Amino acid sequence: MKEAAKNPEKWELSPPYGVKTVLLVIAVFIFLSFSARHSDIDKMFYMLGEAGGRILGLTDSSQVVSGTGRVIDSMFPLRISEETPVARIENFDRDNLPFFSRVETETIEVSRFNVQSMQLEVTEQSREILVEPVGYVLYAMKKMVETIEIALWATIFAIIISIPLAYYSASNYSPNRLTYGTSRSLVSFFRAVPELISAMFLVLAFGFGPIAGILALGIHSAGFLGKFYAEDIENADRGPQEALQAIGASKIKMLRYAVLPQVLPQYLAYSMYIMDRNVRMATVVGIVGAGGIGQELKGRYDMFDYGHVGTILLLIFITVLLLDQIASRIRARLI
Amino acid sequence: MIKFEQIEKQYPDGTIALQNIDLSIPRGEFCVLLGHSGAGKSTLLRIVNGLVAPTKGRTVVDGIELSKKTIPAARRKVSMIHQDFNLVKRASVAVNVMSGALAHVPLLLSVLGWFPAHMRRKCCELVARVDLGEKHLYRRVDSLSGGQQQRVGIARALMLNPLVVLADEPVASLDPSASHEVLSLLRSLAREHDCTVLCSLHQVDLARRFGDRIVGLEGGHIVFDLDPGKVDQKALALVYANYDDPHGQEAIEAARVENLVDTGLKKI
Repeated sequence: MKEAAKNPEKWELSPPYGVKTVLLVIAVFIFLSFSARHSDIDKMFYMLGEAGGRILGLTDSSQVVSGTGRVIDSMFPLRISEETPVARIENFDRDNLPFFSRVETETIEVSRFNVQSMQLEVTEQSREILVEPVGYVLYAMKKMVETIEIALWATIFAIIISIPLAYYSASNYSPNRLTYGTSRSLVSFFRAVPELISAMFLVLAFGFGPIAGILALGIHSAGFLGKFYAEDIENADRGPQEALQAIGASKIKMLRYAVLPQVLPQYLAYSMYIMDRNVRMATVVGIVGAGGIGQELKGRYDMFDYGHVGTILLLIFITVLLLDQIASRIRARLI
Repeated sequence: MIKFEQIEKQYPDGTIALQNIDLSIPRGEFCVLLGHSGAGKSTLLRIVNGLVAPTKGRTVVDGIELSKKTIPAARRKVSMIHQDFNLVKRASVAVNVMSGALAHVPLLLSVLGWFPAHMRRKCCELVARVDLGEKHLYRRVDSLSGGQQQRVGIARALMLNPLVVLADEPVASLDPSASHEVLSLLRSLAREHDCTVLCSLHQVDLARRFGDRIVGLEGGHIVFDLDPGKVDQKALALVYANYDDPHGQEAIEAARVENLVDTGLKKI
């Protein structure tokens, strides 16, 4: 060492990258350009440019702008009230209307085939409808609460499942290689199953409704939490663990007293991220029939009720925003 | 109390940490292991509570010969104080002190974080004994100074009334005045509880001041085993000779001067 210190002119400091790296970068570029053609990236930029031109008034037509415009036009006005024909309500009690609602009479045109004249005749009919001014918003909010509940239970189950999984897949706590390997692969498997697809099959098994959603989300997020928790256990400061090992504490006590206090803030942050994510994913898995607001969204979308769809989208947006705010406040207080 | 016979330790990478260690430490003694880093002090300490298994030789702690089966029983009599304190930083002082008795708390209670009443009382006594107050009980350990943290470490080590306290460089990360404080506290508490202390240090002055006996280690061998008063420059040279360590050189020089003064005084 001392010899070398005297001859700095003989030291070697290699350049940061060589020909190999340059060739690799070129190869990556070639691959990406092929892949871009393959995935219509050029077309995407063309369409975006066309849309930009249309907005600035440079081009006459754009598929993107007209398509988006049509959807937005049909979404507004957003659907807020709920109107139900009185005739369709069972045991309608005129003296005891639901809160804030009123009965209106409207005239509708009914076309009927007249058998005598063999012609379609349009007659005017009047019917009574029950108008609840914010009825649909309330209904959608009820569905949103259901969605949040699905996410909450999925998170609770995920945490419960992932604690033993984390214990067995932390290399320094797992009793032997078999338990380590098994739980590691189980965690990877849970994570590898996309919740939308598992929800599709769980709906077949458990029927439409929240059960399928809770299970699909719970399994997927247990995979995530198991991995995160295990990595934190492995990376926790060894000192306190050794101190407790030296006085003869068992592994579970070591985890409880030397590891848990260190990793708890991190665990809470992960769990809250998973909760946040589960709320968003719960709206998505609803689309395949796993309960909550997603199911309502899918139904309305298929019936072209874009006014309703707009209300639902706005509600999802507001909820996610609010939850994000609440989560970041809680996190700031914990850490 | 502690007896090492022909201990040898070779790590898997081939380095020989200890060789031919024969040492016997009577009950109640404050024995200091003095040596440069890498001399094998920590390894020797860790053999006593089974954190390190020797390659050869036998160790007897309070009449129990250490083996895989007897280590759990031996660990209940031996506690340890660490260089980096090894406390749980985010936990309170009280939890850290009481965790010293974890081996005696039923599993379910310990998972729930519930310590029996007599342990809570003992914890309060110990915290008071290491000169911390009631207000410190709920403080998080990382809000305390280094000296206070090591005193928490001492309280934790005394939770189970150990027969042997191992102190692995207990003052290496403390400033000189805190080092004095911590070592004199450790010494007086050990006297009170009649504990045998095996303490590794690399500061010669502290070793001479607090030890009942100083064992010098160099390259895995015991190079001297003397009363603190008899540790002179020749002995220290055995420990520090092979290193360009200014601290060691200073210590040797100080011992030489002291020796001169002593002999000068005797002549008068």
